[in-house]
Amino acid sequence: MPAPRDVAIVGVHATKQGRNLGRTALSLMLESFNGALDDAGMTKNDVDGVISFEFPAGTGAGNTLGEVAFQLGNPMRFTSHFSGVPALLYAAAMVRDHVADVIAIPFGGSQEETDGATAAYTRPGYEFTEWTGSTTPAQMALQTRRHMALYGTTSEQLAHCAATLRNNANINPEAVMFGRGPYTAQDVLDSRMIADPYTLLMCALVNDGGSCIIVTSADRAKDCKSTPVWVLSGGIGCFYTSYYFPPTLQPLETRDRMLGAFSRAGVTHDDIDFVTTYDHFASGVPMEYEAAGFCEVGDGGPFCVENIGLDQRFPVSPDGGNLGYSHCINPYNLRIIEAVRQFRNDTPDLCPNSHLGEHTYDRSICRKVRDPKLAVACGPFTGAFSMSILAKD
Amino acid sequence: MTEWTKPLPHPTPLSQPFWDGTKEREIRLQRCDACGAHRFPPLVLCRVCLAEEHQWVPTSARGTLYSYVIQHRPATPAFIDDLPYVVAIVELDEGPLMLTNIVGCEIDALEVGMRVEATYFDASDDITLYPFTPSKE
Ligand SMILES: [Zn+2]
Repeated sequence: MPAPRDVAIVGVHATKQGRNLGRTALSLMLESFNGALDDAGMTKNDVDGVISFEFPAGTGAGNTLGEVAFQLGNPMRFTSHFSGVPALLYAAAMVRDHVADVIAIPFGGSQEETDGATAAYTRPGYEFTEWTGSTTPAQMALQTRRHMALYGTTSEQLAHCAATLRNNANINPEAVMFGRGPYTAQDVLDSRMIADPYTLLMCALVNDGGSCIIVTSADRAKDCKSTPVWVLSGGIGCFYTSYYFPPTLQPLETRDRMLGAFSRAGVTHDDIDFVTTYDHFASGVPMEYEAAGFCEVGDGGPFCVENIGLDQRFPVSPDGGNLGYSHCINPYNLRIIEAVRQFRNDTPDLCPNSHLGEHTYDRSICRKVRDPKLAVACGPFTGAFSMSILAKD
Repeated sequence: MTEWTKPLPHPTPLSQPFWDGTKEREIRLQRCDACGAHRFPPLVLCRVCLAEEHQWVPTSARGTLYSYVIQHRPATPAFIDDLPYVVAIVELDEGPLMLTNIVGCEIDALEVGMRVEATYFDASDDITLYPFTPSKE
């Protein structure tokens, strides 16, 4: 039985994404917050829930009910700390249960407020991690090497995933890596080795950017400016905190949970038109297709080579993903926003009339998925994995 | 001893017995009094049964290579002279996974599943690090 279409994404906004935008995280967050409300046809006075890693509310004491309520001048019914897919699922549950009616999921990230090269949060001074000289790529590469050893996943398959995403970004004028390609898998393999098995082009650079998503009920969505995108179902599984506990492949064990999400949504994998994986490293792509149940655990490498192109069965992140579009410190929301924009036919590319929603489907210039109705948006594959199934009417 | 310029761990009351162990050339882990499970990194409660009571016990200091990565870029400038270096996870024979380095092994000879054992390196008067190396057993 199909899931009821009772909770919707009614507003999205992504600011310009780029390196060294010269703006604060607060300004990027506010632009995206106001932009998403405007997209929905709402104002801050409609918001009664906020889910965000940080919300600079009230006195600065943090993202609590009281602080956010005082700052926004509204009674606040729900706040929580997260972003992207898990935040969307929290919001959907709260709206479904009438705990809150309109939940905003804002984020702003600026490198000016970190120390540049590798974000400090990714190399904590934890006593059992720091002395080893482990880096963020190393943490994910440890999962990847294990996957290669157990299942035979190859560097060539990872390179194929990276090239596919970077080629999508190459024709997305909003992408940080716009115009940098095209790339072949061999180009990816030939780039400088960072943390073997990862080469440079298998890793996402960090940049600045803001993003926001507004979630509400089907009833409230009727009064919104935008066409609703329905949150059908999803799942979350967390096993450990990255950078503190040694990385494992346990997040693949979320697969049964994600198969349950398909059952609850009343859809099958065959119904899905595209997938927005969270690919801060190329290995996120095959592992997330596995965990989301598109193929068996271990088969992600060969599966991706056959399936993730724009004209193949399950296209991956047409915006270019974290690798090519944006890795704005925490690009969680962007995986959802790209799904919404594909549904709305709001997908700038090099087609002459893409601004009018007219697309050529010539894959050297066009990144539009043909008439999408269902998508899977993913959270990061780290010590956790999360996934949501989104639909348009 | 040559001067250690890389980050030094800062033990906590919870972890101090582990560092006391490496100083004495032992890998010591917490073993649960209630169920016998070993745990690492140090935790207040057993992961299996949540009992708090435990003993710090010596281990075999041996295990298998669970995964590894070859760093071609340093975590901080302090690691530049080590490039390329190997960050690895060892699955100890007692069960827990442990993040470490692999030393004394040709990169081409690294293989997931290979037997490894702890070595000890005095980085300061208080801290002895525990990179692993291919097992001679
Ligand atoms: Zn126990």
